Amino acid sequence: MSSILKSAKGLPIFLGKLLFSILKALIVTIISKPRKNVAGEIVLITGAGSGLGRLLALRFACLGSVLVLWDVNKDGNEETCRMAREAGATRVHAYTCDCSHREEIYRVAHQVKNEVGDVSILINNAGIVTGKNFLDCPDELMEKSFDVNFKAHLWTYKAFLPAMIANNHGHLVCISSSAGLVGVSGLADYCASKFAAFGFAESVFTETVAQKRKGIKTTIVCPFFIKTGMFEGCTTGCPSLLPILEPEYVVRKIVDAILQERLYLYIPKFLYFMVFLKSLLPLKTALLIAEYMDILHVMDGFTGQKTKD
Amino acid sequence: MDVIIDTSIFLGKFLYYLLESLAYKIIPRRRKDVAGEIVLITGAGSGLGRLLSIHFASYGAILVLWDINQEGNMETRRLAQEKGAVKVFAYQCDCSNRQEVYRVAAQVRKEVGDVTILINNAGIVTGKLFLDIPDHMVEKTFLVNAFSHFWTCKAFLPAMIEANHGHLVCVSSIAGRIGINGLTDYSASKFAAFGLAESLFLELNMVKKSEVKTTIICPYFIKTGMFEGCTTKYPFLLPILEQEYVAKKIFNAILEEQVYVVIPRFLWFTLVLKQIISSKMVVALGEYLGVDSCMASVRGE
Repeated sequence: MSSILKSAKGLPIFLGKLLFSILKALIVTIISKPRKNVAGEIVLITGAGSGLGRLLALRFACLGSVLVLWDVNKDGNEETCRMAREAGATRVHAYTCDCSHREEIYRVAHQVKNEVGDVSILINNAGIVTGKNFLDCPDELMEKSFDVNFKAHLWTYKAFLPAMIANNHGHLVCISSSAGLVGVSGLADYCASKFAAFGFAESVFTETVAQKRKGIKTTIVCPFFIKTGMFEGCTTGCPSLLPILEPEYVVRKIVDAILQERLYLYIPKFLYFMVFLKSLLPLKTALLIAEYMDILHVMDGFTGQKTKD
Repeated sequence: MDVIIDTSIFLGKFLYYLLESLAYKIIPRRRKDVAGEIVLITGAGSGLGRLLSIHFASYGAILVLWDINQEGNMETRRLAQEKGAVKVFAYQCDCSNRQEVYRVAAQVRKEVGDVTILINNAGIVTGKLFLDIPDHMVEKTFLVNAFSHFWTCKAFLPAMIEANHGHLVCVSSIAGRIGINGLTDYSASKFAAFGLAESLFLELNMVKKSEVKTTIICPYFIKTGMFEGCTTKYPFLLPILEQEYVAKKIFNAILEEQVYVVIPRFLWFTLVLKQIISSKMVVALGEYLGVDSCMASVRGE
């Protein structure tokens, strides 16, 4: 009986908070949040040698941040470095690092700490995709997928989070995927790794809140497929609601979300509605909608590319 | 004209499925007969795995029990035989080891036959704050809770597809749908297991008239030794679940061939709510339910 009373007491408070939050969220969507200044912040981007990572680096270069670029591809990374300098970045540091190796991450992280300083914005962006059906995908490739797409996040957090906590200043950015919100046929290992990245980032977020570390921010990004070549050959049955995205648009949105310190960013906006519908509707109706929109066959034409993004 | 016909058919089907799901809330679904099915359960040596084994035993299934703990596994075998199980095979297997999984799987295929119901249940938890968990423990959590699912599915799915008869059961967790304080590695691994299971479901769904089923279970914390010491703020609203209750729910869900199972059902509502409220409210919701402080007193197994 007392437990029911306890629940009843907390309920009005909770409902009050809920109402306030819904109102605040509505206001915020109309008037956007102020954007923070990242000039002088040390921004580390994994997979900076191409695709999204490169574009992110260039955006942060324009914003006056100190750039630390990691990629397994030395040439691509140095090209990004050169482009960033051209874009106006005064301090850019490029390191060759294979994010699938824990010891290498720790070693290069140590180097960064000595040569540059404490990373204040960590962007886990490096990712690979195999794009094969589950039973056709060799075990080693699946493990590699996991090592790059998810485990790298574990080790980079371990390397850079302590300093962020000590300074009570930091921003953890996880580039997950729409495939980290919903399973996709033909992407079993990629999905599992992106789900893991999402869950991990979300858990660490709840930990920072519980530990009352107000200076540590988190942003989890879930984009649909992007035209970087990584998902070459993929098609969408509904380009008006779920288009294959332009990289520049995605990067603009990501940087905006980081500057506004938003927690979740799904691109395109339709994904919010889609995930909501999926959680609400019975399975058969959700599948019916997916079939009607023709989005279950996105991976049918997948060819992909060999290089990491 | 085509658009109008397509849309009408779509709306018709939509309405029908909606009504059908509402009807099933009252009318119980058809339960399949599992007598003679070869059911493999990982982590059968204790907790949920043991209880599930006993349920299947009393329904006439052939049991294949896997656990790293030989003693616990043998005890489960004894209990299952007491319950009337016709055939029970117990194998010691470390599910985090890919080669061992494949080796024992080959043994099972030879000595028992093709597994038709695969229940990936084995799981471990460390229950510390992320920075306090040693790297090797983080890796281990991942290998047992997520990667073992990859290897077992790889080992047993081909035969299921060929026979067009099978059932993949993934025991994930509510921590595999929402990140939880104090459970970073566990949560991430359960998210991965969920993602894999969902992708496999959609992949299998692509095949017309596929009879290979999928069930993904997401329970709240259960009173097995695994979450020893875990506390809950409102036992009336969100209790730490009784093992037998969860095992029964899972068993019924498998027989009814349900795809997504959230235990307790109330949490389904939380998952929907999570999609529409802001991040601060996600945190407040967690605080209200006492989920965030739940792990504070965990000792773990």
